[in-house]
Amino acid sequence: MKPSRLPKPASRAIRYHSAQRHQRLYHASRAAFVSAAASTGSQSSVNPDEIALFSRLSSQWWDERGEFQMLHKMNPVRIQFIREKLLEMRREDGEDAASADDVLKGLNVLDVGCGGGLLCESLARLGANTLGVDASASNIGIASTHASSDPSLNYSLSVKSTSPAPTSRGKGALTYEHTSAEDVLATRGPRQFDVVCSMEVLEHVDNPRTFLRNCADLVKPGGHLFLSTISRTPLAYLLTIFAAEHLLRLVTPGTHTYAKYVRPEELTQFFGDYRSAPESRPWISRLYGGVPTRTEAETRGIIYVPWKGEWTLVPRGAVGARWGEGCNYLFWVRRPLE
Amino acid sequence: MVLRNSRRRCLASAAHPEESDVVIVGGGPAGLALASALGNSAEVSKSLRVVLVEAGDLSKIRDWAPAQNSFSNRVSSITNASRAFLKDIGAWSHVQLDRTAPVEEMQVWDGISDARVAFSAAEMMTPERVALDEMSRLVENLNLQRALLRHISSMPGVSIVDRTKVQSIEKEEREGNGWPLVHLSDGRVLRARLLVGADGFNSPVRSYAGIESYGWAYDTQAIVATMNHHPRTAFEPPNTVAYQRFLPTGPIAFLPLSHTSSSLVWSTKPPLAKALQASDPAVLAGMINAAFRLPEVSMRYLHNRVLEAHAGGSTLLSDELNKEIAWREQSHNVDPRTAYSVTALSRSAPGGIPPAGSDLLPPFVTSIQEGTIASFPLRMSHADAYVGEGRGARTVLVGDAAHTIHPLAGQGLNLGLGDAEALAHCIHTAVRNGGDVGSYTALAPYARDRYFENHKMLSAVDKLHKLYSATAEPVVWARSVGLEVLNELDTIKAALMMSAGSARRTDPASVGWSVAASSLETVARSVNSAKSVGDTIVGLAGATAQGLLKRLSNSSRP
Repeated sequence: MKPSRLPKPASRAIRYHSAQRHQRLYHASRAAFVSAAASTGSQSSVNPDEIALFSRLSSQWWDERGEFQMLHKMNPVRIQFIREKLLEMRREDGEDAASADDVLKGLNVLDVGCGGGLLCESLARLGANTLGVDASASNIGIASTHASSDPSLNYSLSVKSTSPAPTSRGKGALTYEHTSAEDVLATRGPRQFDVVCSMEVLEHVDNPRTFLRNCADLVKPGGHLFLSTISRTPLAYLLTIFAAEHLLRLVTPGTHTYAKYVRPEELTQFFGDYRSAPESRPWISRLYGGVPTRTEAETRGIIYVPWKGEWTLVPRGAVGARWGEGCNYLFWVRRPLE
Repeated sequence: MVLRNSRRRCLASAAHPEESDVVIVGGGPAGLALASALGNSAEVSKSLRVVLVEAGDLSKIRDWAPAQNSFSNRVSSITNASRAFLKDIGAWSHVQLDRTAPVEEMQVWDGISDARVAFSAAEMMTPERVALDEMSRLVENLNLQRALLRHISSMPGVSIVDRTKVQSIEKEEREGNGWPLVHLSDGRVLRARLLVGADGFNSPVRSYAGIESYGWAYDTQAIVATMNHHPRTAFEPPNTVAYQRFLPTGPIAFLPLSHTSSSLVWSTKPPLAKALQASDPAVLAGMINAAFRLPEVSMRYLHNRVLEAHAGGSTLLSDELNKEIAWREQSHNVDPRTAYSVTALSRSAPGGIPPAGSDLLPPFVTSIQEGTIASFPLRMSHADAYVGEGRGARTVLVGDAAHTIHPLAGQGLNLGLGDAEALAHCIHTAVRNGGDVGSYTALAPYARDRYFENHKMLSAVDKLHKLYSATAEPVVWARSVGLEVLNELDTIKAALMMSAGSARRTDPASVGWSVAASSLETVARSVNSAKSVGDTIVGLAGATAQGLLKRLSNSSRP
């Protein structure tokens, strides 16, 4: 716990009160994250209340000016991060000729908690064979309906077989399935996907450690795990809950739970301890000043710029880049080769 | 039988609409530039199918082969920023350059006060502080369209469907948000991921999108024509100067095309435009020469003569007009040794020592090229939005479908090209990020880039037009003493420089700089040339101050 990070209101009484409240929240969420770690992977990470909420909202997924407009606007930045990171790693692996245009082409990608399929459609257009899974049946229904109206997507109904095959049209195959990460792991087994994404999901699950472990197990050796979530900071509370839900009503109140937010350093720490097998090296082998090397993992803040109406990726090494991770951020980690 | 056949075809194809990613309605410069920009990008053409639909016959433009000295009457001033865009997309190399002319200098003056600003390319700087060699380039619209068509013909990703009308646009019946279905006159139906309205002022795409447009018709008609004139002599600057005089009836512009040809854009009152169009081309030539030279009072008189003759069912004869001009010149004491004397110019042979002031005025017009006189009404309009929403989703407007502007700053086509550039950029970004190019999210940056930018230009030009057509006493008085005029002429300059001054549109900083610089100049020049008025004021102020000092010194004395 770092009291220096707490806000400093003028009045002592308020300070005491808010500090206490903050500590309580902090402890509660810390406890959730830690206790989940103690338990084993048999637990479900799916929260029924969360699923009910998103099912109610599912019809609005593709209303670009409605409930999910912020996610629509965030989508290009997520894709940009994924593309840049994959390209960087391909060049790191010695593929100098790797082109930015088709860096996703032919990869098997899993999107956990795909919602209305915002990210899946983009991934599929860029040539990835994409499987989108969601614990809400109505989300899957909306995603399927939307994809089937778009001829640029090579969409097919869910087949519980192995990963979808690439097609002649050069577009990646797109499949949706009403299931959870643990069921994908149970039915298809580990090490299935080149890339596993889970965007804005971590803050909605129970047992985040189980969830992360399931996602991690699904990644092929040398493959990539991309996450985006919200950090547990006063700033994040102010922006994502107080402003977005209560003040501006951009998002339905109750969408976010502060205690479930996860800090970047908690993810770094998790993968610093996480090993694919007991004898293998952890996914993040070393930290420099609390930061992993760029070939193992990376955190990038994303910030909404209201006057541009766009999200933007905080530039690497920018002044206050750490501060930029204080609210929404993207996280990438690579599974070591075995 | 035929009818039933076509009906069946219609129904059959309605069942199977053709999937298209970008459907551009309208084969004007903006639509063609967009198609060509999209087709030029390998990334875009790999993943998007682009179709351009045009009602007219584009093969006529593609095969356009005019004689060397004859020029089309629709000419546009292509700014450096627009040219940079056309070069970037590879279309500029298809423009027949020997049919274009650079504008190296501009002379703009007021019809009542004769207050004048001149500005040249040399004064304008690129962001790298390099002087430009030309302010803009005059290009026949047909030359540009032909270049774009030739460029597009080499692109497999873009198909052009001409001699085909858009019969109707309807929204697809589908759960969620249906896509626009474009019914063509040949029976085909295109299902459009993105429907682009490049279909002009009465845009059917705009009405489908449910986007309102606000604006007003000016009580003004623009006459265009191609003029033949004397070549410039070795003692004069070459024919690379554009001239524009602001008469109370509207501005008259002289735009260079070659040594002996230039283009006319004369905005004037509709009855006068009608009368001029109906009269002998020689009379129009005479009126053009007079309109750049005679005092405003006499121009008003000549206008009335033309109108009276037209109302009487006859037309003014060329000789009668020349006599009138000669008489007016005499009464105004116009020196026949200067370039201001139409009569003297008409008698002198071209060449030799040019008369005094010839660099301040356009060359003497000898005749009008046959069949080039035309006119069209002017209006200002701006769509409420550029991107459709709700029922009108998956639509976007460019060019005249989004805005129309008075031609006095020569910006209409450039705004359209700017739209095409921004939209193509936006589509490219969306494709790169795997986005749906018809989605609002993908198109929002286009509207953000262009709407305010275009609005600034539209309102500046609208304001100028209103100022110059105003007849209210104080405005006219302010104009006649040259106070307001200098400020406003500088607004024109700023408007022209806004796009001309930056070598590239994607460099907003440079625009800010040139405008800031020009407003500084305004201050300097206003101070300078309002001298006659200023001297008096300074004198008065000085006298008052002196008096005050005297009194103070007096009172301080015991």
